[in-house]
Amino acid sequence: MTRFILQRLLSVATTFFIVSVIIFLMMHSIPGGPFDGGEMPLPPAVRERIMAQYGLDQPLYVQYFKYMGGVLQGDFGVPFQAPGQTVVSLLSQAWIPSLVLGGLGVLIGAPLGILLGIAAALNRNTWIDYLASAVATLGLTIPVFVTSMILILVFAVWLNWLPSSGWPEPHKWILPITAYATIPLATYARYTRSAMLDTLNKPFVTVLRAKGLSEGRIVYTHVLRNSSIPMVTVFLPMFIGTATGSIFVESMFRVPGLGLFFVSSIRTRDYPTEMALMLMLTLMFCVAYIISDILYAMLNPRIRNGGRST
Amino acid sequence: MSVIGTEQGRVSDLVHPAPPPAPPAGRQRGPVWFAWKRFSANKAAVAGGIVLGILILLAIFAPLVTKTGPNQQAFLTQALSPPSAEFWFGVDDLGRDFFTRIVYGARVSLTIGFAAAFCSILIGIPLGALAGYYGGKTDWVVMRIIEIFSVVPPLLAAMLLAAVTRGGFRTIVIIAGLFGWVQVCLLVRAQVKAYKEKEFVRAAEALGASPGYIIRKHLIPNAVSPIIVGFVLAIPLAMMLEASLSFLGIGVMPPTPSWGQMINTGMNFMYFYWHMAVFPTAALAITVLATTLFGDGLRDALDPTLKGT
Repeated sequence: MTRFILQRLLSVATTFFIVSVIIFLMMHSIPGGPFDGGEMPLPPAVRERIMAQYGLDQPLYVQYFKYMGGVLQGDFGVPFQAPGQTVVSLLSQAWIPSLVLGGLGVLIGAPLGILLGIAAALNRNTWIDYLASAVATLGLTIPVFVTSMILILVFAVWLNWLPSSGWPEPHKWILPITAYATIPLATYARYTRSAMLDTLNKPFVTVLRAKGLSEGRIVYTHVLRNSSIPMVTVFLPMFIGTATGSIFVESMFRVPGLGLFFVSSIRTRDYPTEMALMLMLTLMFCVAYIISDILYAMLNPRIRNGGRST
Repeated sequence: MSVIGTEQGRVSDLVHPAPPPAPPAGRQRGPVWFAWKRFSANKAAVAGGIVLGILILLAIFAPLVTKTGPNQQAFLTQALSPPSAEFWFGVDDLGRDFFTRIVYGARVSLTIGFAAAFCSILIGIPLGALAGYYGGKTDWVVMRIIEIFSVVPPLLAAMLLAAVTRGGFRTIVIIAGLFGWVQVCLLVRAQVKAYKEKEFVRAAEALGASPGYIIRKHLIPNAVSPIIVGFVLAIPLAMMLEASLSFLGIGVMPPTPSWGQMINTGMNFMYFYWHMAVFPTAALAITVLATTLFGDGLRDALDPTLKGT
């Protein structure tokens, strides 16, 4: 098991390295530099000195390692949109809303989705099954900013029950959390349903029935456990979906979280902030990747001994 | 399939001792007939197909169903007026008929969807066929490329690419194609792998056919249903990508009508001019949903074994 974890850590670290190099190169391939001066062109000598002062005259790989060295010490540079601050101080506040809203969304959506999936699998071709299918299809096909828009239109504009935007007061959380929750809800409803159906059709369930076990015990002690592996595999796409969704949910509901900064730094071409956000997101995905791999290995002994999870 | 037909014939022989001299043993029913049968039994897929068909017709004949060009500010004095008999979807903030904008938006969305799906199969088919046919090292390389593409979340990478290139129609098509080919590639690879051991391929090899000839003439034609499925399912993904990027302001640039962009504008007006937000939202949701349902139905109909992949 330790060997398996080390192996996965190594391969994820490699991926992180490759992705960070790609992001760095892309940021540097953007035409135009900070001292090219449109309105106030600098004399070439001055420009060269300033470039040297900021280390911009050195080869790219030196700049990369310098940057990453700074990142390891928590120094992501200075954001263009707030020159008096550092990227870290700018973003340190933004973690909280993203974590609270996204976290609550997953904590509410995932169990509801699992329950819905179970109910659908146990009552095939009844209204609850159709409801689960509808929720899954709608949630997985319609982009989350459209879902958010519909929520805002219905509950804020027409019914006037809830505010459409804002952050600190808890009653303003309801709509964004609902929007977030649709992602895990749809994902888990679909995969729990199909995993349960798969297991229910296995011969061992027939044997259990033949032995006279009650349907409840069959479902709760045998079928659920054997259906849990697909639920774990879905964790990673669900996490990525929710994290990417935060960009849209937060700009829809004007929540001052990481997603809103992601959009604003793209709009204002604030490259240090965007670079930092991309690196953080990649790191988060890598961690999620490792977690889901480890969970998967714990549930499925066959993977531990040399196989691959995907 | 015709075997089943004759067997049923025999059963009915036993039930009715003297059948009239062979009402010509039933038509030979090919796989297309069975696929159609399965497809038409799927109500959601048929509805999706019909809606998609209507949308395609609207997009093609956009100049005929609308009164002005998409960017013509013909109704400036009536800007922001709500839906009425004259303006079905109202007028937008810049005095353009909103129904016209939505219909032309379908044109943009569908064009990007189809073009990107075409890009996806253009990359996916050759790579999938090569990986499936040669196996070994070629397969390893292709699978590693796929792995890189599946680790990076497409939307984020697309946002970064779009931010660097500043969006635009062509860029979006390329980005969507770049992240849409993986599915097609995997489907083609699986199909080619399954067929390359079959007798007719062996026979072609024995007759001295070159690998390129075998792939082109024997293997790819046999992979046509996964290719169709991959193509159709790539369309909604590309449309969603375009809408998402345009919503963030890094996709299709104004004044080109794009639903994502209109939703973004509509947000600023929704409390007083609800039509600005409702119609693009509904248009995008309906189109993506219809295309996905149609694609899913097609997948289940063409190859029931692919279900759920």
